Amino acid sequence: MNEQERNLVEWLADMREEEATALANRMLLEEGADPVRVLELCREAMGVVGKRFEAGEYFLPELVLAGEMLENIGAVAKPLIKKKPGEEAKKLARVLIGTVHGDLHDIGKNIVSFMLDINGFEVRDIGVDVPVKTFLDEIRDYKPHVVGLSGFLTVAFDSMKETIAAIEDANLRREFKIMIGGGQIDETVRGYTGADAFGVNAVEAVALCKNWTGDGK
Amino acid sequence: MTEPQEFKINIIGERINPGFKSSKIFFDNEDIAGLQGLALKQAQAGAWYLDINIGARALTDSAFMAEVIRAIQAVVTTPLAFDFPSAQVQEVCLETYDRARAGGQMPMINSITEHRWDLMDLHKHFGPFKVIAMASERVEEGIAKGNKTADEIYRTAKRCALRLRNEYGMAMDDILIDVSVSAIIADTAGLNRSTLDAIKLIGNDPDLAGTHRMGGLTNIAQQMPKKAADGSELKHSLESAFLTLAVPYGFDTIIGTPWKRHQPLPEDNYVLKTYKNFLEQTGSNALRAVRKFYKA
Repeated sequence: MNEQERNLVEWLADMREEEATALANRMLLEEGADPVRVLELCREAMGVVGKRFEAGEYFLPELVLAGEMLENIGAVAKPLIKKKPGEEAKKLARVLIGTVHGDLHDIGKNIVSFMLDINGFEVRDIGVDVPVKTFLDEIRDYKPHVVGLSGFLTVAFDSMKETIAAIEDANLRREFKIMIGGGQIDETVRGYTGADAFGVNAVEAVALCKNWTGDGK
Repeated sequence: MTEPQEFKINIIGERINPGFKSSKIFFDNEDIAGLQGLALKQAQAGAWYLDINIGARALTDSAFMAEVIRAIQAVVTTPLAFDFPSAQVQEVCLETYDRARAGGQMPMINSITEHRWDLMDLHKHFGPFKVIAMASERVEEGIAKGNKTADEIYRTAKRCALRLRNEYGMAMDDILIDVSVSAIIADTAGLNRSTLDAIKLIGNDPDLAGTHRMGGLTNIAQQMPKKAADGSELKHSLESAFLTLAVPYGFDTIIGTPWKRHQPLPEDNYVLKTYKNFLEQTGSNALRAVRKFYKA
C-alpha cells in the first residue's frame, strides 16, 4: 500500500469526511486509479470503523457517516468499474430483510441493510409491518441465503415466531438461516421465536451473514 | 449559590424490566426478593407508578407474571403500570392487581395505540384504569403508519384522548399521551423536533386540558457514550436538556429511574446548546450534530 492509499484508509477511518472523499475522487477521476482497488481500500477502512465501534470508541453516527462516505465514493467508482467487462463487483450472498407485522420501526433494519450492502451482500429490504404471507412470497421469489426479521416492540416477538413457524410449515426453513434483531432481543427471545441467531447491532448482523455464507475472513 | 429546583414531574419507575442488565439477573434467577428490593427502592425514591415488564416470558408464563405482581404489591403500596401489548397478558395483570393494597389507586395499562386498541375491550370488565396512549403511530385505511410530524402526533393524541373520554367515560386525568421520545443517535428525520412541537400543540389545545403528556426518557440517550465533550454525564444531561425544553409546555410524566432526578439546565450548558443545534438538523447533518455531544 502506497502513502496515498494509506492516507485514504486512515482519513476514512478517522472520519475526516471532506478530505477522504476529495482524495478518493482525485484518485478516481484525475489520477486514473483502479476503482476496484479504491473500493477495497474503502472496505478496509470500514473494517477499522467496525472494530472501533465494537471497542466502544465509535458509535452509530460514525458507522452511518462512514457508510455514507463509502456510498459516495462507490457512486463515483462503480460506473468506472462497469466500463471494464468482467470486472463488476461480485455480491456475496442474498439477504432478505424486513420488519415483522405489527411493528413499524425501521431505523435498525435500515442500518443493517445498509451495512450488509456495503459489505458486499445483495440485500432485498421489504419494508416494515410485513405480513407473514409477504415474507413467504418474497422468500420463494428471491431465494435468499439469509432472512433477517427485525422488530423493536415486544409485540414483534409473536410476529417473529408466527413468521418462522409459517416458513417451517411451508417447508422452506432448511434453505436459509434466520436472524432476528431489534431493541430488546436476547437469547430468550431467540429461543421463543425459533430463529437461528440474533444480533444486537449491524456489525453483528454482518458477522452472522459472513459466517453462514462462508464469506467470513 | 442555591441548587436549581428539580422538575416537578411524575415518574413511572422503569426498573422492573429485564431490558436493564442489573434487573435481568433477578429475572434470570427468579429472584423475587431481588425484584421486591427493586420495587421498594423505586417507591422510596418517589415513584408515582411502577412499570412492570417481565419480558417475553409474559407470553408463555402468566403464573410468573401474577407471582411478580403479588410479590411487589406485598412490599409497596405504589400503584402499578402493566407494560405488555397483549390483552391476554393484561387480563392476568388486572385480575391479579390489588387495588385496595394500592390505597384505591387504579392500575395503568402501558400501552394502547390506534392500531392496538383491543386492550380497551378490557375496560368494561376490568376498568377503571389509567391508560397510556401512544401518539407515535396512527391508522390509515386499516394500516398502521408511523407519525413523523408534530401535526400527525398531535392529531393522533387528540383522536385517542377524545375517544377514551367519549366512548369509555374516562377522566382526562386518567389519560396519558405518550408523545414518544426518540433516540437522538438515529434521529435523522427530525423526530425530536416533532415531539417537542407536538407537546406545544397539545398543551395549547383546551380540549386536551387535564391529560398528561409523557415519554420514555431513557430512550433519548440510548447507545450514546457515557461522557459528554464537556466532561459531564452525557445521558443524564441529555435527559435534562429534553426536559428543560419540554416541561414548560406541559410534559409532566416520564417513564424513568426514580432516583435519577433532573434539574433545568442553564442556557449556556454545553449539552443543552448542542441539543438545540441538533434539533435544527436533519439527515446526515443530524448525525454530525450528534457527534458534537461527545467529540469536541
